[in-house]
Amino acid sequence: MFISHTDLGDDLRKIVILGRLDISGTESVAGELERLAAAPKKGVVVDLSSLKFLASIGIRALFKSAKAVKERGGKMVLVVGTNSSVVMSLEATGVNTLIPMFKSEAEAERAAVA
Amino acid sequence: MQVETLAIAASGDEIRRASEWLTTALRQRDVPDPQVECLELALHEVLANVLDHGGSAARAEPIRIRMEVREMATTGEARVKVRDAGIPFDPTGAPERIPAKTLAEAQPGGLGLRLIRRCSDWMSYRREGGRNHFTFGARWPKP
Repeated sequence: MFISHTDLGDDLRKIVILGRLDISGTESVAGELERLAAAPKKGVVVDLSSLKFLASIGIRALFKSAKAVKERGGKMVLVVGTNSSVVMSLEATGVNTLIPMFKSEAEAERAAVA
Repeated sequence: MQVETLAIAASGDEIRRASEWLTTALRQRDVPDPQVECLELALHEVLANVLDHGGSAARAEPIRIRMEVREMATTGEARVKVRDAGIPFDPTGAPERIPAKTLAEAQPGGLGLRLIRRCSDWMSYRREGGRNHFTFGARWPKP
């Protein structure tokens, strides 16, 4: 598992997650995701476009971070690119209706700070 | 019909091993990618349920998985059978939570069951010999 972040100006943080958000993978990055999403930025973009697998435990970790960002007045969005398996997990659970999901990074960045 | 079997312990690392085993076995038999992705995800969620809710009995014995692929005249079919010694749980009959309308009211539970149902073309369950026997599968049209 790999998680990294880049701050794009004062308002926006981009977090990239690679690997598998299954039980073992989520356990290894959930704490770091929570910590990175807690930064006092207006918008948080989580890039899942190269993620190999997204299970319910990974979706719960995304939920938790999105809620925390919202509670402090920010907005978290997802970038999925053309990743069909990640899109399938998000759509099957209806999470895409609660955490906005975008194909393109540029669109996601705009939405996160809008 | 082509068959493969695997036995795993109830742990996160073993569940990953089972996911990878299933994906490899299905791809080797030319099962289409969408069905492979769905069945891998469904298997992960079934096994995660056993780990989280199966109790100590589920951890005391191996979880046994059987994969079958059949080719019919116009369709292909893959089925996955999972047998565990955990607390009785019927995924086919368990009520599904109503999806939340807002992030604030979203609850963490129930996502796994939803994934299992969305990713399976059919499911069946029986309790026999003190074990859960859960089967799910997918079909696809042959080119």
